[in-house]
Amino acid sequence: MRTSIIRDLAILLVIFGCIWGIISFFPLFPEKVELLSIEKEQKLGETYLEILMKSADFREVESEEVQSAVESIGLRLENALEDSEYTYNYVVVEDEMINAFTLPGANILVTTGLIGFSGSAEELAAVIAHEMAHVEMRHVVTRLAKELGISVLTSGDQFVVGELTRIMASTGFDRGQEQDADEFACALLEDAQIEPRTLAVFFRKLKEEQDNTLLEKFEIVSTHPNFTSRIRYVLEYVPGEDFEAVPLEMEWEGVQDQLQNQEESE
Amino acid sequence: MQYHPLPQPDELDVREREDAMGAYFMMFATAALGLPLPILNLVAAIIYYFVNRSKGRFVQFHTLQSLYSQIPVTLLNLGLVVWIITNLVKEYAFSEVFWGYVVMVAVANLVYLIFSIVGAVQARKGYFYYFLFFGKLAYAQVYRVREEKDAGSRVNQPPKI
Repeated sequence: MRTSIIRDLAILLVIFGCIWGIISFFPLFPEKVELLSIEKEQKLGETYLEILMKSADFREVESEEVQSAVESIGLRLENALEDSEYTYNYVVVEDEMINAFTLPGANILVTTGLIGFSGSAEELAAVIAHEMAHVEMRHVVTRLAKELGISVLTSGDQFVVGELTRIMASTGFDRGQEQDADEFACALLEDAQIEPRTLAVFFRKLKEEQDNTLLEKFEIVSTHPNFTSRIRYVLEYVPGEDFEAVPLEMEWEGVQDQLQNQEESE
Repeated sequence: MQYHPLPQPDELDVREREDAMGAYFMMFATAALGLPLPILNLVAAIIYYFVNRSKGRFVQFHTLQSLYSQIPVTLLNLGLVVWIITNLVKEYAFSEVFWGYVVMVAVANLVYLIFSIVGAVQARKGYFYYFLFFGKLAYAQVYRVREEKDAGSRVNQPPKI
């Protein structure tokens, strides 16, 4: 009798455990990003970036120093990324909004406003790591495919670029994706020997800015809600015991001054 | 291990059958109560069990089976409520694992509902109906012959003065 009861219990546990496990592993509504291969995405990204840079809305910063500073931060993170299929490209655009966003094909756009706002190279690294997370987890194409449709997205049409940029620069990812990206970014920062909680520092500064200033100037804030919970979430991330932060070798204030000078000279 | 003999349908009066059926239908009455806090229906089921325990083994069996099968379903529902509240308060995302859990809870409730209705109908007809696992558990508890404690071994004494 006892063995038969235990057997019944085991049957019940297995049945319901399987239901839980199967649904967790095979989501009810899978997102079909695999329709767009990474090579295709990168090619598409190149086309879009080219069109975008020709348009009047976006101007790349001329200063070599600023550009190379951002690239060296990106390189540090790329080296920590294990077997990424993407080739990253960083563009610093002139815009006083504090914003960073990503176009398809791992093109990360950073505004001069963001560079001016970041207190250290590590803070910018944290933001870039977060954007990289969206790229690696294919959030960028998933969202664009959802909003524009895969056929419009892959058309490579010059008129699509404006809409594409508007979506990526002004509307946020959903909460789950942001959370996943934060988690990914923390792990990436740890691997790159940058203190992961710098991300929380950056979020906190943004939140303070948000409280003090007009909201519209800070798009990144208005579209990335729930800062308090995200700060807490990032702070809960504890790096491994052998973690040792290695500072990024650059004169961050020099980079910021460079930007300032350039703006004044114009 | 010895078990008491099972009563046959013609040996059970209508009253007993109805009380046994009532054990399963209890949950419909308490489901609304249990919605905000899914532990309340369990309380009601426990009360129902203790009230009806003395009405014979047939009633006791069905009541206990209904009670036992309610426990895991209630805990699963409670888990879901706690999970949702935690996510909302901490503003965490609803992950795939969460949706898997939702589906599992839904299936569990559905299975429980179907079995309860079948159980109620069978009980009304005076039959035994054993749920997987819970049926055996309830049967073992209600019908096992327990050794009666020897009531005569202890005699009440007046206080020593």
